[in-house]
Amino acid sequence: MSQSATTQATENSDSGTQAPAAATGMHVQKRNGGLEAVDLNKIVIAITRNSEGLTQVDPIRIATRTISGLYDGATTAELDQLSIQTAASLIAEEPEYSRLAGRLLSAYIDKEVQNQEIYSFSQSIKRGHELGLVNDETLELVMANSRKLNDTIEPERSHLFNYFGARTVYDRYMLKDPVTRMVIETPQYFFMRVACGLAKRPGEARDFYRLISSLRYLPSSPTLFNSGTCHTQLSSCYLLDSPDDSLDAIYDRYKDIAQLSKYAGGIGISWSRVRSRGSLIRGTNGNSNGIVPFLKTLDSSVAAVNQGGRRKGAACVYLETWHGDIEDFLELRENTGEESRRTHNLNQANWVPDLFMQRVQDNQTWSLFDPKVVPELVDTFGDEFKQKYEAAEAAGLALRQLPARDLYARMMRNLAQTGNGWMTFKDASNERCNQTAKKGNVVHLSNLCTEILEVTSDAETAVCNLGSVNLGKCVVDGAFDYQALAEIVRTAVKYLDRVIDINYYPIDEAKSSNSRWRPVGMGAMGLQDVFFQLRLPFDSPEALEISSRIQEEIYYNALVTSNELAKQHGPHAAWEDTRAFQGDLQFDLWGVTPPETERWDKLKAKIAKHGLRNSLLLAIAPTATIASIAGCYECIEPQVSNLFKRETLSGDFMQINDYLVNDLKELGLWTDETRNTIKKGEGSVQDVSALSDEMRALYRTSWELPQKALIDLAAARGPYLDQSQSLNLFMASPTIGKLSSMYAYAWQKGLKTTYYLRSRPATRIRQTTTTDTSDVACSLENPESCEACN
Amino acid sequence: MLLDPGFKLTLRPMEYPAFYDMYRDAIKNTWTVEEIDFSTDIVDLANRLTPAEGHMIARLVAFFATGDSIVSNNLVLNLYKHINSPEARMYLSRQLYEEALHVQFYLTLLDTYIPDEDERAEAFAAVDNIPSISNKADFCYKWIGSINKLEATHTHEERKGFLLNLICFAGCIEGLFFFAAFAYVYFMRSKGLLNGLAAGTNWVFRDESAHMSFAFEVINTVRDEQPELFDEDLEARVIEMFEEAVECELMFAEDLLEGGVSGLSLKDMRAYLEFVADQRLANLGMAPRFGSKNPFAFMELQDVQELSNFFERKVSAYQVSVTGEVAFDEAF
Repeated sequence: MSQSATTQATENSDSGTQAPAAATGMHVQKRNGGLEAVDLNKIVIAITRNSEGLTQVDPIRIATRTISGLYDGATTAELDQLSIQTAASLIAEEPEYSRLAGRLLSAYIDKEVQNQEIYSFSQSIKRGHELGLVNDETLELVMANSRKLNDTIEPERSHLFNYFGARTVYDRYMLKDPVTRMVIETPQYFFMRVACGLAKRPGEARDFYRLISSLRYLPSSPTLFNSGTCHTQLSSCYLLDSPDDSLDAIYDRYKDIAQLSKYAGGIGISWSRVRSRGSLIRGTNGNSNGIVPFLKTLDSSVAAVNQGGRRKGAACVYLETWHGDIEDFLELRENTGEESRRTHNLNQANWVPDLFMQRVQDNQTWSLFDPKVVPELVDTFGDEFKQKYEAAEAAGLALRQLPARDLYARMMRNLAQTGNGWMTFKDASNERCNQTAKKGNVVHLSNLCTEILEVTSDAETAVCNLGSVNLGKCVVDGAFDYQALAEIVRTAVKYLDRVIDINYYPIDEAKSSNSRWRPVGMGAMGLQDVFFQLRLPFDSPEALEISSRIQEEIYYNALVTSNELAKQHGPHAAWEDTRAFQGDLQFDLWGVTPPETERWDKLKAKIAKHGLRNSLLLAIAPTATIASIAGCYECIEPQVSNLFKRETLSGDFMQINDYLVNDLKELGLWTDETRNTIKKGEGSVQDVSALSDEMRALYRTSWELPQKALIDLAAARGPYLDQSQSLNLFMASPTIGKLSSMYAYAWQKGLKTTYYLRSRPATRIRQTTTTDTSDVACSLENPESCEACN
Repeated sequence: MLLDPGFKLTLRPMEYPAFYDMYRDAIKNTWTVEEIDFSTDIVDLANRLTPAEGHMIARLVAFFATGDSIVSNNLVLNLYKHINSPEARMYLSRQLYEEALHVQFYLTLLDTYIPDEDERAEAFAAVDNIPSISNKADFCYKWIGSINKLEATHTHEERKGFLLNLICFAGCIEGLFFFAAFAYVYFMRSKGLLNGLAAGTNWVFRDESAHMSFAFEVINTVRDEQPELFDEDLEARVIEMFEEAVECELMFAEDLLEGGVSGLSLKDMRAYLEFVADQRLANLGMAPRFGSKNPFAFMELQDVQELSNFFERKVSAYQVSVTGEVAFDEAF
């Protein structure tokens, strides 16, 4: 095992600061097998060394608690790990411990790398290449410029991480020796490896390294995992069209999906073309069992592919609302019923036509069809779809009819009970998509996270490379710095575009699609950080204005960059099939005029002249993992709680709202009592009576905010978002009535897609660490509000 | 009164609506064993646990294998017949189902964790063969078995016997033994190990927490109705019970931790058990007996709401039995 700062102190008895030995009666086992007495003071010194600039941490406390948890004869590595965990365990009490734990971990990682005789970035790349991990091009670039690149590394940037960020990078992103399982790169080597994997020249590597190591922008996880390696699968999402209605086509899709998930891609797949239950099978003169048995096979197949242990394979199945098996589909995630008709690993989304929502509103009948009988419904949208659907109804081709509201209620129940069955809107997604100008080009589904909308067909599997700007880093002196944002976006889009050419495509259908359309997905994270820094409640008019302006700036600068790239390299191959070619940008499709028309007119003229390098530029992904690395709130989401834990493959991590803690400290309110109140309130500050109304409004959680505000913000950024956004909605205790109102509103506002519905369990685990009082007080008059019963 | 012998059948007017609300909340939290994914556990067991951690987990699942069955039996044999309220009996019926579900979960867990049939049989026989586990079973039988033959609670002494059973059941078995077991699982979980065990255990403990709340609600109802039952004698016997329970669990901890697990020292374990025992006494409206502080900061993680990345963990925070009609004008 490796050594770290703490061990160093225990092994070098004459380290800088002399302190009297404090015997603990415990022993640790050193690397050479010898036993050594544990000395409290040495641990204190090692921790103090990593506490520079941290005024609130107490090294003696960490050392004492570490020793208290130790057993006699533990290894020095165990001692080091325990001191890191001990520091991390105090985060909820004092957020500075997160920084301390992050630094202790960084020191531990440095030692682990150095113990393998890797002392520089170029040595790390060399070792990676010897181990068969790093590709030839990256090795060449690094070897030819090793001094320059080694000098560019800024080790102190690892101090920008909080503990969770450092841990996430260490456990899951850094390259490991395949045999010893030790990491061969430090966090900064890791960032530089990612940069070199995308760079053509050392200057590019330097620029991109500086951008990502500052945590102002991060590429998506697949790029972080695989850039510079022998498996340059750098894309996040793949969208596969529905298999054709044949056994061969279905089994070919299973194979495609397995190939794509193997290297960290998330899968969206439509199943709308496959015939429904009861449909005649000519070959055997039997009847089809419908889509469920095939989805069950898909479920197992997805579970079997484990992305190198770093992520689980994951897929989302899309089904159109008129499909004859829609009701079976809506039961796939239920936790009761026949197991052979349940798919616990698959996510599901409804691909909903406007016509359905209109009939729900007007309380009319809805007809279900077998796609074998009316195959044209899959490849049409808007008025054309409506005509064909109504013609099929008139011709008596429906399998069955039911009240539209009954089906809608089942969709809502599925959302409430599983969070799944996401509502995505077929017509908005097609009518406001840049790729659907030419008849026959149709968006058939979104992706695993409902932010990508690209056309697919049997020959084209859509692909998207993603990255997100950390908006929280763009607030300077209490104001949002749009210029800083513009610069980040321009650099980032350049490298997102670069990914298209470097990317390894596990299947040919993805390669042909990507070179035709060259779509990328520039997203954002940390919007909540912006609002906290500017002290704007999520549902304030100012928040709405800033959020829209941010999105407009991102769109504008992404287009500028794509236009410049087109000038250099030519527009993407399908440029003439786009709405932008016809002169329409996203806001035109929404019927919205941007505030500064002049700069937009100029840009449009340039686009008319040189075209665009990318058919699509923006998509707001959930950013769950990269926001953890950057230490900011996820994408465009409000905070879920002021105090909560993240459950990840690396373990559970306490997260606390630093902005709130700083405010409370200033008010002298950061006390045990306040902490207890917040913990009892499950992270709400509404019961902290000493807080002003203003602060309580600012620090509301996603459960406490009106969801209408989230939808309004999403709709307002829509005109400047050419793909879509992973919009989660939150409702602690959902009912069909509340949900049906909410999703009808989202549809009316023109949203293309929505994502998870998050809700809360009806009962919860009894808290152990809050001060517990007697259960005597149970108010029978008002059982709803009584803690003992809830 | 709640402990008056008999089998009351009328639900309206409802005498104890709190029990009925608890029943309904329990229904909303229905989960199934099939939803749990053990695939990463197998990898962890094979490659990622130290031998000492492996021993700890083996012992722990051996305890789980039989613990919930003891609880189920007591529920049927000693509690159901004495709590004379049809709405409370609805809750107990639901609880019985949940206990069976937990037994099924641990059965599946052991079948998955221990592929060798002989070893598996040995694990299920732990209650007879492993002293630290049989010791716990003996403690349970001592305090809950005393009313096995009791047909009806007429006298004060009989009702106190019932209360002691219920307090042992909710306060010591569910409230202390299971909470200690939770600490071990949670310790592993905080390190990202054994996600399947953690996911299932999380649901089990969500259920157990509700069972405890129900039991304390029964105790408090009885206290309101017959405060004279809660005399010094009862308190003294409760204290004695908790002292025994802490020692009993500590003996189990010595066995579990005999290989040395960094971050879980015996010293800290004792403090944790005493801290939890004091909390249970507080639930009963009694003064603390031990005065220890919680040494396990990782237990704080279970007191706050969770946010899962669906890529990584199955999101568990949903309800079933959602009701209502389609509407377009409700606030959201």
